[in-house]
Amino acid sequence: MESSCYATEREYQLLRVEGIDVYYGIIPAVRELSLRVERGQIVTLVGANGAGKTTTLKAIMGVLFPRQGTIIHNDDDITRLSANRRVRRGIVLIPEGRHVFSKLSVRDNLTLGAYHRTDREGIRRDKEWIYSLFPVLKERESQMAGTLSGGEQQMLALGRGLMGHPDLLLLDEPSLGLAPIILGEIYEVIREINKSGITILLVEQNISMAMKISEYAYIMETGKVRTEGKSEDVMRRENIMKAYLGE
Amino acid sequence: MYALLALGMTVIYGILRLIHFAHGALITIGGFIFYIFFTIFGLPFIAVIGIVIALGGLLGVVLDVIAYRKVVGGPEVSMLITSLGFYIFIENLMKLIATPQPYPFRPPVFLDRVHSDWFITFRTVDLFIIVTSVAIMLLFNLFVKRTKIGMAMIATAESGETARMVGININRIINLAFIIASAIAAITGFMWGAKYGQISYDMGFMAGVKAFVAIVIGGVGSIPGAMLGGMILGMLEMFSVAFLPPGYAGYRDGIVFFVLILILIIRPSGILGEKEVK
Repeated sequence: MESSCYATEREYQLLRVEGIDVYYGIIPAVRELSLRVERGQIVTLVGANGAGKTTTLKAIMGVLFPRQGTIIHNDDDITRLSANRRVRRGIVLIPEGRHVFSKLSVRDNLTLGAYHRTDREGIRRDKEWIYSLFPVLKERESQMAGTLSGGEQQMLALGRGLMGHPDLLLLDEPSLGLAPIILGEIYEVIREINKSGITILLVEQNISMAMKISEYAYIMETGKVRTEGKSEDVMRRENIMKAYLGE
Repeated sequence: MYALLALGMTVIYGILRLIHFAHGALITIGGFIFYIFFTIFGLPFIAVIGIVIALGGLLGVVLDVIAYRKVVGGPEVSMLITSLGFYIFIENLMKLIATPQPYPFRPPVFLDRVHSDWFITFRTVDLFIIVTSVAIMLLFNLFVKRTKIGMAMIATAESGETARMVGININRIINLAFIIASAIAAITGFMWGAKYGQISYDMGFMAGVKAFVAIVIGGVGSIPGAMLGGMILGMLEMFSVAFLPPGYAGYRDGIVFFVLILILIIRPSGILGEKEVK
C-alpha cells in the first residue's frame, strides 16, 4: 500500500468500464463503451432516448451482462458478479421511474434497502440520516409506498438506495416526471449525498441540470460515447446541444 | 384446506407469474408420504408430520430447480405447460408406483375420535384441520409482514429486477417460496386423506383445480384473497351438501364451478383482486 499523498491514478478510480457491448437478445444496445468514475465525483451520462444510458447502468449494476469488455470496481473485476453481490460491494442503482415496492410501507422499503447488512447500529444511523434528508418520509413512515406522490416516491427510492450503504450510487433519471420545485429539492439532496462521500454516476435527460451538478460528463449517442470531458467544457461545445436535440 | 392450497399457489403465482398446477401433485405425494411412514413404518405421528413437511419442501425445491428455473421469465404459457406437464408426469409416476387402487387412510386414533356431546357432531380431525389451517395462515402472514425475508418475498413478487437491485438474491427467495408452498401442500395432503379416509394417485387433481378456483374467486395474486376464496369455496361445498336435499350432494362440484362462472361475470378480477391496470 502506497501511503504518500501522491495517490496513483488507479487509486482515484472507483469504477472503470472498458469496452463493453451489451445486447438485448440480438439487438445491440451499447457498443464498445468505456468510462471512468473517480472517487468522490459526480459523473453524468447524458444523451437522447435510446442512446443506451439505462442499459449501461444496468450492466454496471449486474442486472444485464455485457457480451464483451470488463467492468472494474475498486480494482476488482466484477464483470461476471451477480447483482446482489455487487450491492454488497457498494454499488447501488436507483432505477428510472422510481420502482419503490408499492405494497410495502415506507419503513419496510427502507429496511429492504439494507437487506444485506447486519450492522444494526449503522442501519439505524443511516435511517435517521435519510429521515433528516427527507423529513417527509419520516412523516409518512407507515404509509404504503404506492400511495406516495411521485416526488415522495423518488425520495423513497433514493433513501432505499442509501440504506444499502453504497460507495457508488447509480442514479437513473431522478428528474423524470417531477415538478420543478421538487426537482430542485432532489438535486440539492443529491449534492449533499455526494458531499457525504458517495460517488455518483448520474444518467439524465435534463442536460442543464445534470451539467450543473456534475464534474465530468459523457455524451452518449446510439450506444456509444460520442464525446466526453469536464462538464463545463462539454457544455460549452456547441455541437453537444445539437447532438442532444438530434439536429 | 382450500385456503391453504390457494395460499401456496398464490405465493408462487405472485413471485413467478406461474400457475402452479403441479401443486396438486404435492398433495398426493404428501398423503402418500404420510401413509408410508405412519401406516407402514409405524413412526410416531409428530415425526411423520415433520417428514411430510421436510420431504414436501425438498420436492418443491427440486421442482423449482429442474423444471422451472429455465422457463421462468419466459412467456406465461410455457411456464403453464411446464407445470401441467409436471403434474401429469407425477400423477402417472404415482399410478405406476402405487397402482390406481385407492388406499385406505387411517389417521392416528386420537384424531379419529368422534364428538357428539354438543349440538354438532365432528371428529377431532375436523378441528385439527381448522386449527392447523388458521395457525399456518396466521404464521405465514406474520412471516411476510414482520420478517425481512418475508418482505423480500413481497418485493420480489412486485418486481424481481428491482429486488435484485437492492441486493436480494431472488433465486433464493424463489426457492424459499417453493419450499413453503410445497410443505403446506404436503400437509394438506395429509389432511385430505384424514378427512376422506382414503388416498389415491389422482387425489391432487381436483384439489389443485379447486385451489385455483379459490384463487380466482378471491382475486388472482392477492394473498388475503386466496385465503378468503379458499374459505368461501370450502363453506360453499359444505353448505351445498348440508342444506340441499340429499340427492343433490353429488352436484357440489357443479355448484362450485357455477359460482366461479358467476364471479367471473360479475367481478372478473375476484373479490379482493385489483382492477386490471391498462
